[in-house]
Amino acid sequence: MKGFTLWFTGLSGSGKSTLSQAIEPVLLERDIKVEILDGDEIRTNLSKGLGFSKEDRDTNVRRIGFVASMLSRNDVVAITAAISPYKEIRDEIRARTETFVEVYTECSIEELTRRDPKGLYKKALAGEIANFTGISDPYEPPENAEIVVDTERETLEESLEKIVRSLELMGLIPAGEDQHTSPEEEVVIRERLQALGYL
Amino acid sequence: MSSRQRLCVVGLDGVPIGLLERLADEGVMPNIAARIEAGHLRSMRASLPEISSVSWTSFMTGAQAGEHGIFGFTDIDPGTYELTFPNFAQVETATLWDRLGKHGLTSVVLNQPATYPARTIPGVLVSGFVSIDLSRSVKPLRWLGSLRRQGYRVDIDTARARGDHDWLFQDLDYTLQARGAALGRLWDEVDWDFLQVVVTGTDRLYHYLWNAVEDSSHPRHQQALDYHRAVDRFVGKVWDRFAAENNEPEKRFWMLSDHGFCAIKQEIQINAWLRERGYLAIDEGERDLRGIRPESRAFALDPGRIHIHVRGRYARGSVTAEQVTSLKGEIADAFRSLRYHDEPVIRDVHDAADLYRGPCADRGPDLVLLAHPGFDLKASPTATEVFSRTDLVGMHTWHDAFLLAPYSIDDEELWIGEIAGHLERGFGN
Repeated sequence: MKGFTLWFTGLSGSGKSTLSQAIEPVLLERDIKVEILDGDEIRTNLSKGLGFSKEDRDTNVRRIGFVASMLSRNDVVAITAAISPYKEIRDEIRARTETFVEVYTECSIEELTRRDPKGLYKKALAGEIANFTGISDPYEPPENAEIVVDTERETLEESLEKIVRSLELMGLIPAGEDQHTSPEEEVVIRERLQALGYL
Repeated sequence: MSSRQRLCVVGLDGVPIGLLERLADEGVMPNIAARIEAGHLRSMRASLPEISSVSWTSFMTGAQAGEHGIFGFTDIDPGTYELTFPNFAQVETATLWDRLGKHGLTSVVLNQPATYPARTIPGVLVSGFVSIDLSRSVKPLRWLGSLRRQGYRVDIDTARARGDHDWLFQDLDYTLQARGAALGRLWDEVDWDFLQVVVTGTDRLYHYLWNAVEDSSHPRHQQALDYHRAVDRFVGKVWDRFAAENNEPEKRFWMLSDHGFCAIKQEIQINAWLRERGYLAIDEGERDLRGIRPESRAFALDPGRIHIHVRGRYARGSVTAEQVTSLKGEIADAFRSLRYHDEPVIRDVHDAADLYRGPCADRGPDLVLLAHPGFDLKASPTATEVFSRTDLVGMHTWHDAFLLAPYSIDDEELWIGEIAGHLERGFGN
């Protein structure tokens, strides 16, 4: 299979990381090479020293895009899960990447404030965190994302199935539900049946 | 307290009604005794043949083998005579969970035999025996990570446990605990309507140590009882939680087994018998049916499925369509008269044409033998002796699976394939 970049974008807490981790085993099971470019890991390694000004954020996102495009042209599925709030930067990365699949994790501020496991939205709304995307900094939703998941209404399973099915339909990953048992598996089945007195 | 009308089913693989009643009466299984007291316990027939893959498939589809297409753990390729292993993909009818899903109902199904490789159902499916690879046993896959982290294992290591009974008990305990942990997690995290879990360790124990269960002087009798105590605690926990979270739980809790068990007196090698009588010939040195000779008129697959070697159906078949009926009659009569030390071996010989109906009926055997309890039918193609024994001590029975239902079901001939309909009606469908 050829590689591609699966670019999650959405507000903090909208499900980007959860979905990117959930899709990893699905792809691995289908013998696809996968790398997750986790936002926190990138910040502590590749983008160490960068802050949260618009310029620094853009630089961080560009670096993620650069690594993702290198990985995907080497037949790896590169999954990124950064907020990546600016459309211009996302489009710039799209233009540089051979196969770029944008996944928008849509969720309202009200729902995110309700979820808010780290209390960040609460603090941002109280003015305690500056430059907080969606509250005090802009987030520009994609207008033509290949896949949109509504994490406010869909369960994790539903969103995951939607992404996987879309990738199958785009021909980027092989169809799942492989219902065949391999010759190697049949050897084990035979042994198990023999252990119970069959055959 | 859930406002949903939930339904819970616990399967105990291979537990015969007589044993369940006895262990409940003797205080070994007090939680199950309480459920028996509150519900309606009765015997139930398994599928024919009486093995898990067929019986559980009938349970999960509400259909018989002629409809769902699973006749055993093995089939044969009619062109090459190689053994094939039918799997969940070959089940031709919709499952109970698919049907419930059409009404917006979500199922959690843990350790259901004969569902490998798992496929997407409306809910969560974790396949049971003969699952090989956990990553192909779980749908949706997002549950794979947590099952792995919990150390979930589908089955005991049967190859090792057969000869190492210390290991058998260790592994039985481990898998039961892991199953409980997995069930707890799924219960917590899935908003389900229908929950089903199957304990399969009972079947494994009975295959290897049925005598330890039955015989109080057996050195492993206490260990066998302790395992039943553990199973009873497992059931107790499921019930307690179900009862705490649901209204009128006693009206929505079911238990069943897929077949019964009894002690083996003698193993009967059907292919050896067919060879001895001149119905089957296999090339010298061949270890399986790939060496079947054209003059063969019949062969058998486990446990007692007899296939007439019909021309046109099998590559080397020589029996004409006109000869089939008389040949079936001849073989059936001969089996009916089979004796071991003056004891009749075969209880019934079923003509598949009477037994199976539906679009898959043609794929099945022509005759199905049902032995008297104690005579374990086998179909090794290389066996030379009709009467033999191995180290296995327990065998499946057809007539004494159990059903513990919330209401009385008046049907003398109740069989496992009828239960799905009752469960669906529990949701008003």
